[in-house]
Amino acid sequence: MDVLLALTISAVFAIGVFQLLRRNLIRSVIGLSIISNAINLFLLAAGVYRGEVAAYANAVGQRSDALPQALILTAIVINMGGFAMVLSMLYVLSVRYKTSDSDEVKGLTH
Amino acid sequence: MDDALTIPLLACAAGAGLAGLFTVTAAGKRISPRAMGWLLAIAPVVGFGILVAQAPSILAGQTLSWSVAWVPSLGLRFSLLLDGLSLLFALLVSGIGVLVLIYSGYYFTPARDEAGSEGATRNTDARFFFYLLLFMTSMLGLVLAGDAITLFVFWEGTSITSFLLVAYKYKDKEARRGAFRALFITGGGGIALLAGLVFAASIAGSTSFAEILRQGDALRASELYPVLFGLIALGAMTKSAQAPAHFWLPGAMSAPAPASAYLHSATMVKAGVYLLARMHPALGGTDLWFWLLSGVGLATMLIGAYVGFKQNDLKALLAYSTVSQLGVLVMLIGQDTEIAFKALVISILAHALYKSALFLVTGIVDHETGTRDLRELGGIWRAMPATFAIATIAALSMAGLPPLFGFLAKETLLATATHPNVPAIVDVIFPAAAVLAGALILAQAGLIIFESFLGKPKSERHPHEAPVPMWLVPAIPAVISLAIGLLPEPEALATLLARAAAASYGAPVKVSLALWTGINIPLALSVIAIGVGTAILALRSRLRPLFTTLSGALSLAPLYDGALKAIDGLAWLATRVQNGKLRLYLAIMFIATGVMMVTIGRLSIPPLPMAEVGQQPALAALRIFLLLVIAVAALASALLKRDLFAILALAASGLSVAMLMILEPAPDIALVQVVVEALTLVVLVLALTRLPREQRERAFEFTFRQSHPGLVRDVLIALGSGAVMFAIVLTALVTRPRESQLTPFYEQNAKPLTSANDIVGAIIVDFSRLRHVRGDRRLRDSRPGHLHVAALCLAQSRRPRRRQDPAGQGHAPLSRHRQPAHFAICAGAGLADLAAHPGAGHRTHVVWPRPAGGWLHRRGDRQPGRGDVVCRIWLRGDQATPDVAATRRLHRRRLAAGHRVSHRRCAGQRDVLLAGGLRQSAGHRLLAARHVPQHGHAVRTGHLPDRHRQRRADARHARPSCRCRSRDRPTDGRNRHPAPARRSDPRRIQSGWPADNSTTRPT
Repeated sequence: MDVLLALTISAVFAIGVFQLLRRNLIRSVIGLSIISNAINLFLLAAGVYRGEVAAYANAVGQRSDALPQALILTAIVINMGGFAMVLSMLYVLSVRYKTSDSDEVKGLTH
Repeated sequence: MDDALTIPLLACAAGAGLAGLFTVTAAGKRISPRAMGWLLAIAPVVGFGILVAQAPSILAGQTLSWSVAWVPSLGLRFSLLLDGLSLLFALLVSGIGVLVLIYSGYYFTPARDEAGSEGATRNTDARFFFYLLLFMTSMLGLVLAGDAITLFVFWEGTSITSFLLVAYKYKDKEARRGAFRALFITGGGGIALLAGLVFAASIAGSTSFAEILRQGDALRASELYPVLFGLIALGAMTKSAQAPAHFWLPGAMSAPAPASAYLHSATMVKAGVYLLARMHPALGGTDLWFWLLSGVGLATMLIGAYVGFKQNDLKALLAYSTVSQLGVLVMLIGQDTEIAFKALVISILAHALYKSALFLVTGIVDHETGTRDLRELGGIWRAMPATFAIATIAALSMAGLPPLFGFLAKETLLATATHPNVPAIVDVIFPAAAVLAGALILAQAGLIIFESFLGKPKSERHPHEAPVPMWLVPAIPAVISLAIGLLPEPEALATLLARAAAASYGAPVKVSLALWTGINIPLALSVIAIGVGTAILALRSRLRPLFTTLSGALSLAPLYDGALKAIDGLAWLATRVQNGKLRLYLAIMFIATGVMMVTIGRLSIPPLPMAEVGQQPALAALRIFLLLVIAVAALASALLKRDLFAILALAASGLSVAMLMILEPAPDIALVQVVVEALTLVVLVLALTRLPREQRERAFEFTFRQSHPGLVRDVLIALGSGAVMFAIVLTALVTRPRESQLTPFYEQNAKPLTSANDIVGAIIVDFSRLRHVRGDRRLRDSRPGHLHVAALCLAQSRRPRRRQDPAGQGHAPLSRHRQPAHFAICAGAGLADLAAHPGAGHRTHVVWPRPAGGWLHRRGDRQPGRGDVVCRIWLRGDQATPDVAATRRLHRRRLAAGHRVSHRRCAGQRDVLLAGGLRQSAGHRLLAARHVPQHGHAVRTGHLPDRHRQRRADARHARPSCRCRSRDRPTDGRNRHPAPARRSDPRRIQSGWPADNSTTRPT
């Protein structure tokens, strides 16, 4: 299972990197999102043990590890914020440079 | 602790401050240079006086020190030290400083119309005084430093200020080049020096000189000794213009004459000598010390003496004779004998006296005749008798003729050279070289007198005698040179020199200033030197052209030019790599990370674990299926050609991740993931619609018509990073512990401490906020900078609005008046972040943002977006509040304030700004809503009662809630009365912004 998880995470990560390296900035943004998915998956897999019930204080049985979940929760929200910012930058670039080709965006013009 | 030690430094710094004021205010224009010189000379006079007052205790053998903690966390102290060696140099620096300041006033007054020049002063003269006093402060600090780092700071200070002084006539290309060259070489040496000093300090265990000198044996025994000594020597030798780096000194002669007299004869070039003398007790006495310093010093002495003789420019001639003399000094330090250090201190003093006098005289000649070329001067002694007399005395001292002080310096030098301790191999070379250099220096001194003052006039010039104070200034050091030789031995001076030599030698040194020591070998050699020198002088018209043709490349100037070219080449290369293309940067980053992980991180794929299937095979199968979906959907997003489909595939991948989270089981994050994934989808599609169609079509073209090599490259990079990631993940998963350290704590304490059932929510909402309660400042704000980023984005995102301008063709310029506003926003945000830096104390954390916000508030005229930032900064300090409820309260206050400000300032932007505030408030509410508090109405509604209400509630429940109490306890004064702000909120919100009504009205 660990190997499979690692394989999936690395495959998703590789796809994200590939996407990030596209000239089309929309694709780069998608790549960023995919990479963050891979990282979240990694955090999830890195939990010390796997539980049978959700991490509630009043739950009976083996609870799942709450700590990586807290980390993922933070990461997801921050990713969302960063994603929104990148998109807004993409929009600004597209308006100012009339392109969404990352190679044409060189330096800041006024 | 001797506070008096700081006074010379403070006096000079104050003088520099005053001069700095003159450069920027109108007062500088009204005061004549002469008055300015006299006025500013008070600073070094004070310093000199204080130092003289300290002299008796130094002469009695004491060492004074003063220090103050500088960077306590690094154990750094700013410390000063005054012993014999420091005192000698400090007296020279401040004493000659007085003379130079007074002289500069006259030097910068035009020669021709001396009567009417009072009004013609420019601020640029004040600039010279400013630089000169800054240099004086640095130089004084350098020689008084009692700590290696303190010394280095002042060392660099002298490099920079001397750059400013040499480039003073910055419109002259030669001046700029000379200044840059000097800075390049001395600054490069400074870096080496820093490295060497750090090595020494780390071996000695302290940066203080007292400790470093005490650990001399450990330093010499260390295997790093050659490295650290080499680095320190490199720093010292570049500063003191030793061969082969000596060529910067003649190049720096484009400085005004007073600066040359000060920097290049008496003070800065001796800094290297001072450092070597200071470090001698710790580093000296080894073979490496002897051979390196003696060899370099000897070579420099000969090169300076030889090249100097062929110069036509008076100042260049003096510069080369200075180089020669510096070589003598370094060579003397290299000898490890008592008499060498006696010769050292005598030479330092003698050289400082005669060379500063000669430079100042050269300045007078230049000032009065307009040239300092030997081919155009001549016969000016009639017009300038006083100057001529001074020049003669100084030149005689330089030539080493009795009864002047220079004679004594040369005698002791020759005595050192013939000392029996000198190794047998070089016992002929040393005396011979010393005699030769002495002869050439005598000839150079003769050139100054015979070619410029005596003889026939070579051009039509009508020089005047300089104003009396102007020639009186160089007269002082010249007369002192004469007086030391003629008068019966001055006790105090001899003791001072003995103390200086002892501090440098590490053992007592006997110094007597008697000129006549009987007929001995040094005297005989001296006579030979004088004879040869006179002969060279007599044959100068034939010898000088010969010297010119014979002198080859005796410097590393070509190497220097080559180094500059290499640096330019590297810069060109760097700009080629940094071509502004995002993809290249990303590729380099990924490749570099991968390579570093494998090489430095020793990353490798661990042995694969055995296949294990959990207790529930069906669940495991479902997991594997989901993993497959995630991967395939991600792949599809890369391969699908239409952007919309790619986005849908991305969403599918993300939702599969959410499903996997459900299987974990981790419902909290699965929920958030679903929401975020949905939002992402919507936002991306919306963004897609905002991009023009032709733009997207073009993007499609270049995405899927990529050249094959490029595609292969990208795939390889992706596969490589994937492999690295695989190794990382697998290593992490295989080696992770099977016992959790932290989770049990949260599981046990979530309920009792936060009364939340949901452990994840408790961690996020409460435990991560506990750092505020604990009052740990290091943790209190771990997000410095985010406000800054927000402000930058705010500033940037405003710009496209200008696109609608009728004339605008895309890249519409931002209107000019807006830029300062954006800058102010960013600066203010940065300031607030600075205040919120974890290292900042309570005062800056809480008090600072207020005036910053207030200032922006007042300055903020009709700038959209300002209101939000203003109130964010304003309320910044409130983030130090102790608990969740108060933070939430503050968010609402912030909303209200933001609304208030932005309503006034920028009605049009209101919705955008308030949406941000709403998001913050709502985000907290969402998370907090998962709490099911057992008692207290407050948490669920987002309101904690204020004090009296709390008391009532407590009485009602008869079971005081420790949690509510602790949360309601304010940590600082301003939060003690949160009630008015809260009460006022709904009213304002009702009037201005109904949206918040539902969420904030108290129940």
